[in-house]
Amino acid sequence: MDNLTKTKWDKAAPTFEIMAGGGAEKRWKPFKEELFSHMSGRVLFLALGTGLDIPTFPKNKEITAIDISPKMLEVAQSRINAYSGSIKAEVMDVHELTYEDNSFDQVFTSCTFCSVPNPLNGLRSLRRVLKPDGQLFMFEHTGSRYYPFKIMMDLMTQITRKMGPDMNRNTVKNVEEAGFEINEINHLFLDVVKTIKATNPA
Amino acid sequence: MVCLVVGSIAGWLSSLIVGIGWNMIFAMILAMLLGMIVGGLLFFPLGMLFGAMEVMLPAMLSGMVSGMLVGMWSTMESLTQLLGLGYGAVCGMGCLISIWVINNQLRGIQSNG
Repeated sequence: MDNLTKTKWDKAAPTFEIMAGGGAEKRWKPFKEELFSHMSGRVLFLALGTGLDIPTFPKNKEITAIDISPKMLEVAQSRINAYSGSIKAEVMDVHELTYEDNSFDQVFTSCTFCSVPNPLNGLRSLRRVLKPDGQLFMFEHTGSRYYPFKIMMDLMTQITRKMGPDMNRNTVKNVEEAGFEINEINHLFLDVVKTIKATNPA
Repeated sequence: MVCLVVGSIAGWLSSLIVGIGWNMIFAMILAMLLGMIVGGLLFFPLGMLFGAMEVMLPAMLSGMVSGMLVGMWSTMESLTQLLGLGYGAVCGMGCLISIWVINNQLRGIQSNG
């Protein structure tokens, strides 16, 4: 377990929704609902956090969810209880998934790979637990390819990294390097906020 | 709104700090950095209301452009604080329109990456 990351998010848990739970959630809700509407089969949801995404899940699904921070999952508990289906939430580090190979039909992430310390290893770990032809669905914010946004995001990352996420990750490249086949990228705001749909090639 | 607020504040601060006769390049860099700091600081309270990513980039861009232009202008002629604020707001509005145009160019589905 990466204790540095765990401690960072444990500390962030009580105030996390002040920054993340307001305007962003309202604005991106329809896009998340569309992405999560694809949930079927055995589903792993990565980095459940305080459960902000749970209201956008389709009804009556059986979902396995993990997060590195037990404090985050404590905050999420009321939303987990209110969900119409079942969510099995576990404290786990994405780099050290304890699930067997080829365990899941689908993996979903939501603003996760801005914060995973070693994103490439994390994605490879996801690929291991995904079945061949299994699908990866991501709602992520990434760095921008375009100036001056690229410089701004590199600068802001020096501050935000200490409290939470990196702003300048190249998640699309990481997904490809981890061995996934990208099916679709949907840019929602500039080339920064996006959904990514990918497949674990057989 | 974020662009207007950040642009106005960055323009006002630049007109307040930079004086006639300053080296223009130095004034430009200083005011640009000042504007980006203003944008970076306002990102936290405004980001809570409107969403972090949708605020951070417009705010920092508005601060940078407003600071840079008003800072350079202030080396050539004496700007009142009100003018600095007004020019900053215009720069902020320009950034808002630019981001709206760029966003419309970039957003949408790309198949196969």
